[in-house]
Amino acid sequence: MSEKRLTIRDGDVDTTVIADFEATRRDAVRRGLILGGGVIAASSVPLLLRVRNAFAQSEGDAGILEAAIGLEQTAVVAYETAAKSGKLKPPVEAAARLFQKQEQEHADALVAALHDLGGTPPAAPRASDVEGLSDVRNQNDILNFAIELEKMTVVAYVDAAGKLRSPELVKTGAQIVSNEAQHLVVLREALGKDPVPGAFEAGQSEEQPAAPSGP
Amino acid sequence: MNVDQFLRDPVSRRRFFAMSGVGVAGGSAAFLAACGDDDEESFAANDVEILNGALGLEFTAVAAYEAGAPFLEGELKDVGATFLAQEQEHVDGLTAAVRDLGGTAAVAKEMYDFPTLRNQRDVLRFANELENKAVAAYLDAVPKLSTGDLRRTVYTIVANEAEHISVLLGALEQPQVPQAFVTGSAS
Repeated sequence: MSEKRLTIRDGDVDTTVIADFEATRRDAVRRGLILGGGVIAASSVPLLLRVRNAFAQSEGDAGILEAAIGLEQTAVVAYETAAKSGKLKPPVEAAARLFQKQEQEHADALVAALHDLGGTPPAAPRASDVEGLSDVRNQNDILNFAIELEKMTVVAYVDAAGKLRSPELVKTGAQIVSNEAQHLVVLREALGKDPVPGAFEAGQSEEQPAAPSGP
Repeated sequence: MNVDQFLRDPVSRRRFFAMSGVGVAGGSAAFLAACGDDDEESFAANDVEILNGALGLEFTAVAAYEAGAPFLEGELKDVGATFLAQEQEHVDGLTAAVRDLGGTAAVAKEMYDFPTLRNQRDVLRFANELENKAVAAYLDAVPKLSTGDLRRTVYTIVANEAEHISVLLGALEQPQVPQAFVTGSAS
């Protein structure tokens, strides 16, 4: 029986990073603020709360790579679905296509690294495997969904930074997380939000509305 | 010299960053000499040296955003102020980390020898160059830090510098996310 993607393994949270992320997300959902006031389908919430499974139980660099590949593949599918949806304005659709390509580059590099370790990468998910993806109805929904997925990915990479053994993978992870942060800038700008809300991008900040422009 | 000359001349740029007190590539001799030693103290000393190198670049960035502020207009004025404040937060965080390790934190230089800034575009281009240098330095540093805590913190800082780059590129009307793997080489 196949599991929904991102439910890699269930288990106890072993880092406060993941626990804090979950706590802020649950709280934000409860306050109706998870998308800066935007409406999100209830079925999307399981996607957002499953980050604990992405990394918490991973053992060794191979396990971390498997989980990271899963996140990148999910992002590829999400951006591909978004780009083909016909719901995005041309510049946003162009960004979705670019980000799909870049997430694929991440996945390819991580798969190569996993092969070097003798591991086997997970199969890529289908769009129907990505919970919440079918519920997005318009450009705003898509952008908010993408932001939450990118933030989850940043949380996971920051967590991995403390667990990876290989110095080369630590460096590659930093190059990748920097790119995910740049995705966040573009997505936030497309929603009229503050593109860089905090000095330490840990994927945890509450999404800020755009700062008012002064005279 | 002006910003165009500065950006085109690798010798001037190397000299500038050397004077900022930062070894950008290849790590430090002290670290390499201590490599292989399991002594916790030498790990902490290496971490201090690496973090102080990063601090040097952050102080440079603070000084640059201060120097550039008068040239920024409209929304970019707010952007410059925000980025200045965020670089200062990096300074504060790195300073605290060095002190927690029992080290002496680097301090800002009294004066920085920047290229001549004539207008907003000069400021944006110079800031972009500095941000890219910071990213390159952090990428070099992060695998050499000895604790998970420090590596996680540096991930969040380098991600923030990458965000600065995207905003600056947008203001310069260039593609905001040019690389799938951010390397800190300004294209």
